[in-house]
Amino acid sequence: MNINETKNFIVKLAYFLESSVQYNKIKQFFYDLLENDNYPYKKYFDFFMIFVILSSVTLLVMDVKHHVPQWLDDLDLYFVTTVFIVEYILRMWVYSDIHKIVIETHEEAVFFSKPLKLSNVFKKVLKDKWEYMTTPSAIIDLIAILPSYRGLRVLRVLILFRAFKMLRYTKSLTSFLEVLKNKKFELITLLTLSGFFIFIAGIMLYVFEGNDQNQNIHNLFDAFYWALITISTVGYGDISPVTPEGRVVTMLIIFTGIGLISFATSIIVSSFSERLTMLREDRIVQNISKKESITVICGFGLLGRLVAQELEKEGVSFVVIEKDSDLAEHAYSMGYKAICADATREKVFEQLKIKSNISHVLCLTSDDIVNIFIAVNVKSLNKNVHVAARCSDEEVAQKMYFADVDQVIMPEEIAGMMAAVYVGEPVAFEVLLSIIDQKDKIQIDEIEITAGSLGDGSTLKELQLESLRVILLGILRGSKRKDPEFIFNPDDDFILQEKDNIVCIAHQAAISNLKRKMQ
Amino acid sequence: MQGKIIIFGFGSFGRHLYKHLKPIGKQIIVVVDKNNYTEALDDEQIDIQKINIKQNDNIFDLGIDPRDDVVYCSMDKTAHNLFLVLSLKTLYRQLNIIAISNSFENARKLRYAGATSVIDLYEATSRRFVHMLTKPAVMKAIDEIIYKENNLKMAEITLPKDSPVDKKHLSQIDFKTHGIVLIAIIDTERGRELSFVDHSIDHKLDSGDTLVVVAQKENLEKFRTYLERK
Repeated sequence: MNINETKNFIVKLAYFLESSVQYNKIKQFFYDLLENDNYPYKKYFDFFMIFVILSSVTLLVMDVKHHVPQWLDDLDLYFVTTVFIVEYILRMWVYSDIHKIVIETHEEAVFFSKPLKLSNVFKKVLKDKWEYMTTPSAIIDLIAILPSYRGLRVLRVLILFRAFKMLRYTKSLTSFLEVLKNKKFELITLLTLSGFFIFIAGIMLYVFEGNDQNQNIHNLFDAFYWALITISTVGYGDISPVTPEGRVVTMLIIFTGIGLISFATSIIVSSFSERLTMLREDRIVQNISKKESITVICGFGLLGRLVAQELEKEGVSFVVIEKDSDLAEHAYSMGYKAICADATREKVFEQLKIKSNISHVLCLTSDDIVNIFIAVNVKSLNKNVHVAARCSDEEVAQKMYFADVDQVIMPEEIAGMMAAVYVGEPVAFEVLLSIIDQKDKIQIDEIEITAGSLGDGSTLKELQLESLRVILLGILRGSKRKDPEFIFNPDDDFILQEKDNIVCIAHQAAISNLKRKMQ
Repeated sequence: MQGKIIIFGFGSFGRHLYKHLKPIGKQIIVVVDKNNYTEALDDEQIDIQKINIKQNDNIFDLGIDPRDDVVYCSMDKTAHNLFLVLSLKTLYRQLNIIAISNSFENARKLRYAGATSVIDLYEATSRRFVHMLTKPAVMKAIDEIIYKENNLKMAEITLPKDSPVDKKHLSQIDFKTHGIVLIAIIDTERGRELSFVDHSIDHKLDSGDTLVVVAQKENLEKFRTYLERK
């Protein structure tokens, strides 16, 4: 095969791989398994890897004082190493697509009417894969394979790098490193400062006591070791100053050490407190995005709080989005899943997978304009999400309906209607409050007629609701339709159908009893 | 119809309240605080009185009749409503006061101050949002009975003397033929307590008993006429 034939073969192979459904499926599967946190089977792979790593480290520890059976040693050598090598290669494979580089370079060459240079392709591929190989996690992966070479005993210690590999599989450990990474500048400053003090103090002590005055200081290394142990406030006491000058240096370095440790603690603590909310929210988003039919409450003011309390009682799965960090924190402290984010932006809804997982969005902020903004944002992302909004102004309500909001609810209107009932009819008003507030054991409720249940095809007379101590208000027919029909006070010979809803007022116990019977 | 309606405050809630009270046909006086008064409130159609709510004399001048009048405290600030309830109760012990509140906590304070009834602005709204998600049929029923302006109505009927149902037990009356759903009753024989008619007690009806019913307006009128028959 000459060079041109090789080039043609590589290009053809690249196009074949690009169009092969099977190949892309397999690659996607391995990508999901190794890298995609939302892939349901990834956690099983992670557990398996953690198990393999822990077994390997246990064998290393056991080997210190006990004889490990040969078969276990072989298992560690062949099986574990094979798993690690395969994993390393797979990760490198899924990191990028070689065939895409080939196609890109080929098309570039065709565009400029130049021959394809294989050396260019190799350079690009190598650069791409080298980029992966030099990432910290890939380096750890590679070092973790090395202990398999038994010729050098010291390499056995590198098995501990296998423990570092666990960082890949446990999110909380990765999060910890993320926190430190964010304080890189402060930590480097701290490290430089510490290094500077250790350097100065070490040299000073060596100058004062290194010339045989102190039996424990043999060289500069001893002096640096002493400075580090002292500045970190550990103070083993194996090396201690004997001259007044040395003691003065010690006193100074102890004060500096206290300062540096406080500095380090404050950096890490502040970094954690800053990141904690974000980490928590990431977890909430991940948990929620796996569920279906989520309700989103936007705004955690007075109304948002009440709705959240009621939804929790009803067992509805929901998440709160609140822009104000204090209110979001308050929602979290009340035990709700809360995210501090701007609901007028698409980012948070994309994270919660609005296209597939969100069923209802409630816009409950106290600002009508913000509510419209949120509603339009949601509807523009997914028209099928049911959006309900709170509104205080009738003119704004019209605009909300124009923006396709499914339900507009006006607190002042509702309260105004209720309050108007009082005039001339205070007893009816009391009943009304009691039914709407549901504070008493008497409740208004609905029971759906399911196919084949007791109610399906029966007349109301046959159900004998009175003997079940239930007050029938009416039947809702076609509840799944856009405009269902409420049949008030139907006759005794009214025949119930599947999916009808009986709306009634009764004691909680009577309703539970009726629901049981209907099942 | 005797008695007038006095609405304190003409903010967002006050306006909605006025809109729903107007069709009742009673005299309505809207009272606003002189200190927070804006020209925009002036409306020839509405009887707006501007007073200093801190002055008892100003409140006296409104000519409130504590037996027949109903007062709504719907100022924008709960603190003002609380102050008003206290002032009105000190001046008129018998007065029926309905106050608006924005939280359960404030509702408790307003009741303590003497409000006959307190409407929580957000309680019913939150329930409505929740019903929308969990009990759509209930929401539709409540809409039809309470919120929609249609024929269906919840009402109370006080039984007149010697009505056709006098001395009869509930089990002897077929409310269905009258197109009426009986929900609750104040059976004066048993006291002034309101009880829901869940068929656990076969109440005996007497004059003075109060029935709370849901019915179409025309059926309600027919039933009232029927009860007037001797």
